[in-house]
Amino acid sequence: MAAEKAEMDALKKECDGLRAQIEAARKAVNDGSMSASAGGVEAVGRVQLKLRKNLKGHLAKIYAMHWSADSRQMVSASQDGKLLIWDTFTGNKLTAVPLKSAWVMSVAFAPSGNLVASGGLDNICTVYNIKAASPKTLRELDAHTGYLSCSRFLSDSEIITASGDTTCCLWDLETGKQKVVFTNHIGDCMSLALSPDENSFISGACDSLAKLWDIRSGTCKQTFSGHTSDINAIAFFPSGNAIITGSDDCSCKMYDLRADQEVIGYQDTSLNAGVTSVALSNSGRLIFAGYDDFNCHIWDSLKGEKVGVLSGHDNRVSCTGVPADGMGVCTGSWDSFLKLWN
Amino acid sequence: MSVKMGSSSTSVIQAQKLVDQLRVEATMERFKISLTATDLVRYCQEHKRSDPLITGIAASSNPFKDKKSCVLL
Repeated sequence: MAAEKAEMDALKKECDGLRAQIEAARKAVNDGSMSASAGGVEAVGRVQLKLRKNLKGHLAKIYAMHWSADSRQMVSASQDGKLLIWDTFTGNKLTAVPLKSAWVMSVAFAPSGNLVASGGLDNICTVYNIKAASPKTLRELDAHTGYLSCSRFLSDSEIITASGDTTCCLWDLETGKQKVVFTNHIGDCMSLALSPDENSFISGACDSLAKLWDIRSGTCKQTFSGHTSDINAIAFFPSGNAIITGSDDCSCKMYDLRADQEVIGYQDTSLNAGVTSVALSNSGRLIFAGYDDFNCHIWDSLKGEKVGVLSGHDNRVSCTGVPADGMGVCTGSWDSFLKLWN
Repeated sequence: MSVKMGSSSTSVIQAQKLVDQLRVEATMERFKISLTATDLVRYCQEHKRSDPLITGIAASSNPFKDKKSCVLL
């Protein structure tokens, strides 16, 4: 018993020492701020986007949506037990994928456009081939011991998932097996995003931390703290050098990867609703953040000011996405509608 | 660094994992915010012109806008 206590004390001492070292290192590079660097940048002015399409079709809350790489098709998931694939140019529904489990929380489009994946309270990530005559289940990825909150395809043969079991996982779709398990969060993983170069990904969790992972080695490279509640949404700044998080603490934050710390926060005393989703415009200048207050608020990422709002949903905005060509924003809501704005 | 097999309880293993992780994070080279933030600003400025939501989209080239047919009277 005494030996173990001594061991624990030594480890705790080392832990405290390392934390102090990290804080000192962060402080040493904290010689500026985003406000200072963005001082000379002109304001974007009021951003007023118009509602271009109201996509009706789901019969229950929409939990997730994801753009296809072609910036035209989009997939949405609803607890009515269906995935719908839309042609956003016409507003037509192209395909409906019936789900085994209606409790879906996440959906993803493969870059090829051939596959979509979904999952939720069934703890399983199911991958469908949507190019077949009728949608066919390709794989059921079943190893998580908690709900599936998010998934993103690297290709038609690899996918990364985030789970309520606190882990993220890289799967081989040819074998259906786990290749790498990313363990380090101490709370449910809620969201993930791939880096532009696809060598790393970031995850946000209910432990209020965001983590940067090396995909191939499975190591957690960096941990970002500051939020005071669950991180529900996470996205990469387009250059890959910063990340944006959205949290139940009603704020969004930008963390600079190279300085290893927060450089600017996005909060407003009048905004008392949790952030559910985040997406960035192509230059990284605008942040579209979906909130529980039924709106998607638009932030100037450099100045930290609210510059616009997308209003129209009658319930929580649960998901937000900007297509690769940056031509608009899609918001999905518990009101069962998806809206396209630009 | 090594944990003796006999004395490893879950708390010790967890504490060791925490230390190992902090060691990885502590070794990172960090760069000055004055430089990195300026670089982020530069990225936004350089890509401003290719960001349709900043520059605006002409009605004729807006993929989401419902096209109404014109009738010449």
